[in-house]
Amino acid sequence: MVKGYEVVIGLETHAELNTESKIYCDCKNQFGLEVNSQVCPICMGMPGTLPTLNEKVVDYAIKMGHALNCNINRICKQDRKNYFYPDLPKAYQISQAEVPLCENGYVDILVDGEEKRIGITRIHIEEDAGKLLHSDKFHGVSLVDLNRCGVPLIEIVSEPDMRSSQEAKVYLETLKSILQYLGICDCKMQEGSIRCDVNVSVHKPGEPFGTRSEMKNVNSFSAAVRGIDYEVERQISVLESGGTVEQETRRWDDDKGVSVPMRSKEDAQDYRYFPEPDLLTIVVEQERVDELKKSIPELPNIKILRYVKQFCLNIKDATFIAESVSLAKLFDDCMTKDKFHAKCYTTWILGDLVKYMNATGKTLEDTKLNPENLTELVEAIENKTISNAGGKKVFAVILEADKKVSDIIEEQGLAQVSDDSALEKIADEVLAANEKSVNDYKGGKTNALGYLVGQCMKASKGKANPGKMKEIILKKLG
Amino acid sequence: MELFERNACDLSEMIKSRKISSKELTESVFGRIKAVEGKVDAYLTLDKENALKKAEEVDAKIAAGEELSPLAGIPMGIKDNISTKGLKTTCASKMLYNYVPPFNATVMNKLESNDVVVTGKLNMDEFAMGSSTENSHFKPTRNPFDTDRIPGGSSGGSAAAVAACEAIVSLGSDTGGSIRQPASYCGVVGLKPTYGSVSRYGLVAFASSLDQIGPLGRCVKDVAMVQSAIAGHDRYDATSAYREYPDFSAALNADVKGLKIGVPKEYFGDGIDPFVKQSVMNAVKELERLGATVKEISLPSTDYALSSYYIISSAEASSNLARFDGVRYGFRAEDYDGLVDMYERSRSEGFGDEVKRRIMLGTFVLSSGFYDAYYKKAKLLQRRIQQEFSDQFADVDIIATPTVPTTAFKIGQNTDDPLKMYATDICTVTVNIAGLPAISIPCAYDDKGLPVGIQLIGGKFTEQRLLNSAYAFEQLVGGFKKPQL
Amino acid sequence: MNIDIKHIAKLARLHIEDDQLEKFESEMQNIVDMVEKMPDIEDEMTLDPSNPMRLREDKAVQDKFTRQELMQNAPQVKAGCLVVPKTVE
Ligand SMILES: [Mg+2]
Ligand SMILES: [Zn+2]
Repeated sequence: MVKGYEVVIGLETHAELNTESKIYCDCKNQFGLEVNSQVCPICMGMPGTLPTLNEKVVDYAIKMGHALNCNINRICKQDRKNYFYPDLPKAYQISQAEVPLCENGYVDILVDGEEKRIGITRIHIEEDAGKLLHSDKFHGVSLVDLNRCGVPLIEIVSEPDMRSSQEAKVYLETLKSILQYLGICDCKMQEGSIRCDVNVSVHKPGEPFGTRSEMKNVNSFSAAVRGIDYEVERQISVLESGGTVEQETRRWDDDKGVSVPMRSKEDAQDYRYFPEPDLLTIVVEQERVDELKKSIPELPNIKILRYVKQFCLNIKDATFIAESVSLAKLFDDCMTKDKFHAKCYTTWILGDLVKYMNATGKTLEDTKLNPENLTELVEAIENKTISNAGGKKVFAVILEADKKVSDIIEEQGLAQVSDDSALEKIADEVLAANEKSVNDYKGGKTNALGYLVGQCMKASKGKANPGKMKEIILKKLG
Repeated sequence: MELFERNACDLSEMIKSRKISSKELTESVFGRIKAVEGKVDAYLTLDKENALKKAEEVDAKIAAGEELSPLAGIPMGIKDNISTKGLKTTCASKMLYNYVPPFNATVMNKLESNDVVVTGKLNMDEFAMGSSTENSHFKPTRNPFDTDRIPGGSSGGSAAAVAACEAIVSLGSDTGGSIRQPASYCGVVGLKPTYGSVSRYGLVAFASSLDQIGPLGRCVKDVAMVQSAIAGHDRYDATSAYREYPDFSAALNADVKGLKIGVPKEYFGDGIDPFVKQSVMNAVKELERLGATVKEISLPSTDYALSSYYIISSAEASSNLARFDGVRYGFRAEDYDGLVDMYERSRSEGFGDEVKRRIMLGTFVLSSGFYDAYYKKAKLLQRRIQQEFSDQFADVDIIATPTVPTTAFKIGQNTDDPLKMYATDICTVTVNIAGLPAISIPCAYDDKGLPVGIQLIGGKFTEQRLLNSAYAFEQLVGGFKKPQL
Repeated sequence: MNIDIKHIAKLARLHIEDDQLEKFESEMQNIVDMVEKMPDIEDEMTLDPSNPMRLREDKAVQDKFTRQELMQNAPQVKAGCLVVPKTVE
């Protein structure tokens, strides 16, 4: 609720699929290359050219459909969406109108610890458009780069089930992590591989939904939050001043922090959708649909809940690990060994590992860390073979070198001394040399104990097991 | 007999046996072009230099003992809506007056590997929209049988060039009759293949679901030879069929004993010229005499085929022709104020009236609020028409009809009345709507010496049977008669 | 049936001169009249799974064409790009 209004948000999210070739031609699907270098007569819309559909695009869309619990329309078709714009060479976008590949699904997201179900209306496949380049230096013209034409997209349309910009953000983050889990989208926001259009309306509680506006050009999740918040405020102030909200398309200007109307009502778009006559019916065999379903891994939103329930992780930690494909895999692989408590691993993963990755800019794949050496390390600590301080030294090595934990412990002489007679010898020496502290302790100054244990550790060059050392000293002090 | 007058099947033997060279033949054809092109105006672009180069190449290959295609060294003209790499492809439109494709249509690659000699690009109605070749932006083509008359269209240049012996064979395209109708008017043989049997890749689209490239020639065997060369699955055309095709010309067989011919009464109604009606009925009787059986049939939805055709083809055309916006290729207006104005001026100045009319109609029938009443209804009718045909083909082998209701009309006679012009397609559009193959062959000449064609329609992928029937008929009645020019 | 010729022309990005408007309107009207004689059909369009489309393998082919070849037909080119009047953003 904002100022006594309920907010209703629906999102249309476009994700670029990371196939090798484009959706309707065999040009390379790659970002950031020289302008107009990844084009051919087909994606340039030359007269006489025809599209041929990339099978991976269908597979990927079906995977996403399964991940979002959709019905898969294994018999479906493609349609033309007609409009003129210089970034659209054929003057129509091949998309899906009547029968999308996937529909009627949902995704469960976690907002402030509460589970919430967001309906998914549909997922369809379509082609991306090119890019217009603008600059004051171009003197009244814009330049057209067609490299992005024909990059495969899936459009994921949600039901108007979100009630705050925060929910929209969590929904988008959930989609992003699912796309990453499926390995079908690079999710590089700065390259525009996920973009969304936002539908927002407001209404007074108990009243029907208000008129919605559609906001385009939302290129990051934080921009989505800013855009929604702005739009909500705008609509409320329109209503409060006695006006009505128009059903219109607006463009979000993130630099200025405002949304502006894109086109006036009189030239409202009429896309004249009709079935794409250059392509036949898509028919995916049921076996293929099932196969793709089997290939879906446990998804991050499900993982988070499991981590919380099964391993008692807090939501923040569970989310952090689950939303990273590689961290979650590392954690899951360690946990399947079923040897130690989750906390033993999360301390390392969320602590030293993340610190290292942040400092070096490396990914987990860039390090030498794996479930085997991490488990060995945890084992050495839990068995008290090495101290926590020794563990940190070992960890630093296994991040960068292919070495066995036991070899590192030996090489660096990190093994703790737990042998009673050796420890007693040290204790005797230290107690003899620190008569004052011994007397202090006996006189009631209990903090002298810490000093004595510290001296013992020092004498052992850090190898003594501190717990045991303390025990022995206490016994000797009687 | 001059070389340019001979048929491809004879010339093929002569080249193979080294009685003549392809170069001699090519020079003969270009000599003929020089002599009569001024009267016919069949070509938009001539490519003599490359044609002779190709002919010499073929001659060298034959001298080296290479085994070549039967079409090797045969001069062929190409309709100007088929993309030819490095050779202007204008669709007879101001919009593409200077457009040179950087790639070949799949059929052109096939012809290239068959060592065909391409003479040049042939005139047509702008973007294949029309029935007379008067809608060419550049010039009208004339009927070689009477140069005051139209050659038909839209493949008017393809039919006229073959009839005038300015090419041995040619390629046209057929969306609603555009190969068969001019073939009929110009007294040549024209085949509209089954939808999906010839790749459309590189054919500048008019109506994607109806367009099909096909051959024209002066005899059935020539048409069969070209069809064999161009048919086949193409991975660049998702609508092309996965199947193997026989060598149509090698398998030609004039035996029609037992062939069941259906004669649909709807095609012999009031709109059909009595002489045309009579000529077609006579032709059917000839086939009956050869051992075929004849049966009257009914295709009741024929009356609506033209409406269905104009809706579907215009809808698709409005979308297919939207890409001509003056940005990537083709005509751009000189003066404009901003993007939308550039679009509107370039398109309005670049397209002719008939093209604009169809774009407008297509835009209208697809626009919000009208889609169901027009486009959807037309598609439902299409399904009904397809069903009627397939029901009939359970019973008969081929269906015989006139190709066009009349003989060729005078230039300018129908240009003011689109509907009258559209009516010339009445016998041919159903075939495209149903995706079937059909062939037009000359069957008579009227008192003015103008040719009349008979159309034989077959079930899907029955080209061999159609060609056989046409071949039988040709053997019996004789086919092409050279016009006086 | 009234056809809003100007609106249709706008959608089609065609500019029709005022003196041509009437001619276009009546020609279009004639065509639409012909078309409206179509019978009513109580039926729905259905998808046809009997003729399924074969899909293309996801393989990229590089350097099939040079940019120069692909842009040679463009009315205006600058810095490797196509040039259009400034689009209002
Ligand atoms: Mg979309
Ligand atoms: Zn491409």
